[in-house]
Amino acid sequence: MGLTRRTFVASTAAAVIGGRAAAAVDEKIILFGMPQDFTKIYTFLTVEYSQGQRDYFSLVNSRSGINGYKIVADVSDSANDIPRAIETYERLKREGMVLIDPLSTPVARALVSRALEDKINLVTPFSGRSDAADGTVFPYVMPLSPNYWSQAALIIEFFRQQDKDLKGKKLVLVHIDTPFGKEPIPILQTLSQKLGYEFATFPYAPPGNDQSAVWPQVRRAKPDWVIFWGAGVGQSSSLSEAIRNGIPVDRMCAQVWLSESDMNVVGNDAAKGVLKVEPCASGRDPKIIGDILKDVVGKRQGAGPDAKIGTSYYNYGVMMGAIMVEGVRLAFNRFPNGPITGAWLNAGLTSITNFTAEGLLPAMTITKEDHQGGGKGRIARWDGTKFVPQTDWFAAGQDVVWEEIYKSAETFKTTGK
Amino acid sequence: MDLGLLEELTVTGALVGAMYGLVALGIVLIYKTSGTANFAQGAIAMMGAYVVWAFAGAAGLPMWLAIAVAILLMFAFGVAVERTVLRRMIGQPVIMIVMLTFGIELLLRGVVPGFLGSTVKRINLGIPQAPVFLGDMLINRAYLIGGGVSAALIMAAVILFNSRFGIIMRAVPDDQVASWSVGIRVERAIAVAWGLAAIAATAAGVLWGSIQGVNWSLSLLLIKALAIAILGGLDSIGGVLLAAVLVGVCESLATGLLDPLTGGGTRDMAASIIIVTTLMVRPYGLFGQERIERV
Amino acid sequence: MFYRRSGILHLDYRYERQLWPLPFDRLLVATVAILLLAAPFVVNRLYLVAYLLPWLIWSSAALGLNLLMGGAGQIHLGYGAVMAIGAYTSVHLVRFGAPLELAMLAGGLASAAIGIVFGAAALRVKSLYLAMATIAMQYIVDFTIVHLPGVSGGVLATIQVPMVRFLGFKIEGDLPTYYMALLVCAVITLFMLNVDRTAVGRALAAVREKDFAAEIIGIDTFKYKLLAFWISSFIGGVVGSVLVVCYLRSVSPDQFHLDLSVQILAMVLVGGLGSVLGSFFGAGLILFAPIIFEGLIGITAAALGVQINADLKAHLPLMLYGALIVVFLLVEPLGLAKIYDNVRNYFLVWPFRTSRT
Repeated sequence: MGLTRRTFVASTAAAVIGGRAAAAVDEKIILFGMPQDFTKIYTFLTVEYSQGQRDYFSLVNSRSGINGYKIVADVSDSANDIPRAIETYERLKREGMVLIDPLSTPVARALVSRALEDKINLVTPFSGRSDAADGTVFPYVMPLSPNYWSQAALIIEFFRQQDKDLKGKKLVLVHIDTPFGKEPIPILQTLSQKLGYEFATFPYAPPGNDQSAVWPQVRRAKPDWVIFWGAGVGQSSSLSEAIRNGIPVDRMCAQVWLSESDMNVVGNDAAKGVLKVEPCASGRDPKIIGDILKDVVGKRQGAGPDAKIGTSYYNYGVMMGAIMVEGVRLAFNRFPNGPITGAWLNAGLTSITNFTAEGLLPAMTITKEDHQGGGKGRIARWDGTKFVPQTDWFAAGQDVVWEEIYKSAETFKTTGK
Repeated sequence: MDLGLLEELTVTGALVGAMYGLVALGIVLIYKTSGTANFAQGAIAMMGAYVVWAFAGAAGLPMWLAIAVAILLMFAFGVAVERTVLRRMIGQPVIMIVMLTFGIELLLRGVVPGFLGSTVKRINLGIPQAPVFLGDMLINRAYLIGGGVSAALIMAAVILFNSRFGIIMRAVPDDQVASWSVGIRVERAIAVAWGLAAIAATAAGVLWGSIQGVNWSLSLLLIKALAIAILGGLDSIGGVLLAAVLVGVCESLATGLLDPLTGGGTRDMAASIIIVTTLMVRPYGLFGQERIERV
Repeated sequence: MFYRRSGILHLDYRYERQLWPLPFDRLLVATVAILLLAAPFVVNRLYLVAYLLPWLIWSSAALGLNLLMGGAGQIHLGYGAVMAIGAYTSVHLVRFGAPLELAMLAGGLASAAIGIVFGAAALRVKSLYLAMATIAMQYIVDFTIVHLPGVSGGVLATIQVPMVRFLGFKIEGDLPTYYMALLVCAVITLFMLNVDRTAVGRALAAVREKDFAAEIIGIDTFKYKLLAFWISSFIGGVVGSVLVVCYLRSVSPDQFHLDLSVQILAMVLVGGLGSVLGSFFGAGLILFAPIIFEGLIGITAAALGVQINADLKAHLPLMLYGALIVVFLLVEPLGLAKIYDNVRNYFLVWPFRTSRT
């Protein structure tokens, strides 16, 4: 038993190492690393997001990839554990990874210095470092999406459009008591001085399952608008508590982290009227989603349950996947002969111009200086079955936002590097 | 100071505290009979909630039936855990057993969301959304019912422990050898205690799950439950209710009164400070029995 | 056969109390030391940065906790907080311009100072209650770090570690960080190996076994418990700063929560309470098991041609990690060090058999 077992283990190991290395050399692939948090904190989001990304890559690969190269996404669970994420990063770097999407703010922060040194594109959708929009300080950190400051500005602009004038109105931010939850506060305060509204914050302890002490206070503050800034459990709890405390949901708005699953938990009808920021179109209408349904799911290559296709987080995954692939395509345009490196992809990503992914996104332009892409989004309202857009794609308050970005990037430049 | 706000916070806090107390009840039950602390209690609550969801949501049973089935299953689970895992650790230092329960917690947190799905699930207990008004004071109906059920269950546990069965359960931790010699089946008593603790955890999981949705974060109920268990006394069931109300009210008032000053986060601090203060001033809690060590 | 015991004559008490009286043991230790020193030149860079470096750092942390738990018999479920204090103190001092050596020591001292405040709880309560007190400490420190912008670094709450010099070398890139961590680990290991042979170590052992009996024979348990907490927290603080400077290169509160404390506790227990070698084994197992499981699952899934649901696949390492801890504690409560000991005992008399079997 001993000898057979030993030979078995040894041969498996050899096969794995040999096989993997051979695969990397023979096939024409572009390797994206996706050590995401499936089990610890971002569980509400990661499964659907990853499904969307992988389905999109399958779609691209089914059309013979880009220039004959297939996109390979190495998806693994980082459990928000930084040593594991670093191990995955180093391992994939060795295999020639050109882009990494950790979908986790602490992991992204831990990887920043490494990504900048190794020249690997660190994609941080909606999260990570908001100041990484400044490409001059963070050449290899790519948010490629409206950051939280931009989202806050979008929300305020929507409120202003609804009320015509925010002077004297009362705005309340109910947020999770973490750095993520506190992020919009500087922007909201600056805008409160500019637009004349009263602003109050009500933090709740993470992860947000018990907000019982917060909402009675909110009720007594009698706000005109409520912004709730949490994620996963925090969001559904916020909504449930608000409803049970008699606060009108159609005066409540969240950032991007609100999905159909959250609506289900609260009750589809009970949550009718609540608002959120949409960075990309939701539902199955966009052409890309239709293509995925036809070519990927139709051929039973889908990465997850069909019911999730078209949900908010699924579409975010598709959105980010589409932007990444567009970067690859443009990189091939500029440097058709490669070599396939992080710098090569970076050149492609920073030349994205007016990209809409066939109607899925607002026109996004990424440059070497602006890694955010314009900060555009739109506000959508839940009507009981889906999110219905209330506005067109727009960006707001970018002057205030960029001031904040430059300030923060400055600190990083002087103390970090 | 807004008196109305204070009243509301106090009432809400008491109700929420009672709901945390249900998890603490399980911890106290287990400590009382087998002398170990179960750090997996939060994970068992999570598992109970998932099981109820699996029967009610996925299999489509009516809610009351799903809860009944879940209670039976979780009782069996509690007994099984005690029998297979904890029994082998008798006599080992406490830290080993604590670590073992941490291991069980990790295992459950992996197995349950892994096999049943990690997205947030819904448990609909049919509690209407409309709040209950007591004068100017708004009481969240879900908390009212949740707190009421929890308090009732804790009182039931107190009554149970005063019955003949309860006396057996109390004899066991007092002196195992003496219990054996009078014919008490010690192993069975401990196993039953674990089963009951699992039921309490399931009830708590269902109540909390209906408010916040069912996902892994239900296992975080543990910390608050620990604070309550320590404050009330790790071996006092009646103490659980009083301590639960105290802790709930303290947390609620802390969030309401201190958060605006400190910028947030005082809720968890309240629990931690309660633990530290209790351990410094009165280590055995308000109603716990003092352990006297003999040389 | 390997462990030749013939010809070893102790002419002196000093010789009898050696750490490694058997030449084979000394050979093993020397080999390991040489391998570790030569690692950057021999081993692939991936293994160095992703495996060796964190292993060294986490082993040092486990050693620190082992002093308290295995040496003095106290329970500490808040070691992550201790490391956090050390990490934050040293990073802030470095950013103010203090040299790294001073900052590390200051970090250790700060940890020790706050460590004994909570260690004072140990004087009041025992075992389980002490565990809860230290959990409470963890939360309180978490809260303090996050809510004092002066400590946490403002809204974004991540502080980058600037360029530092240690003993004259710039700590940048793979080699210097590795050697710095190796140096700190070596110092802590040497300390731990020798603690048992000193009066302090023996006093701690007495306190661990039965503290009131120790009191009776004249050992001041008050002083020694506090001392144990002080030393252990000092080590924790220093390791915290090494962790942040060499491995993470930035410090944020998310890295030092209860999970870290439980992780290091698991390393100590799985490795073997009180055993220096056990700390290394435990650190290796706990740190790499999830990664290895992840790889194994991928291979088996591919080999069997089975498509596992992504959600389930992602949870399998967590399941296996929990199962690993449970199984270890059930099957071998004395930890990996005991298993090593068994193997060593077997080879001690090989090809003969031990007298028991």
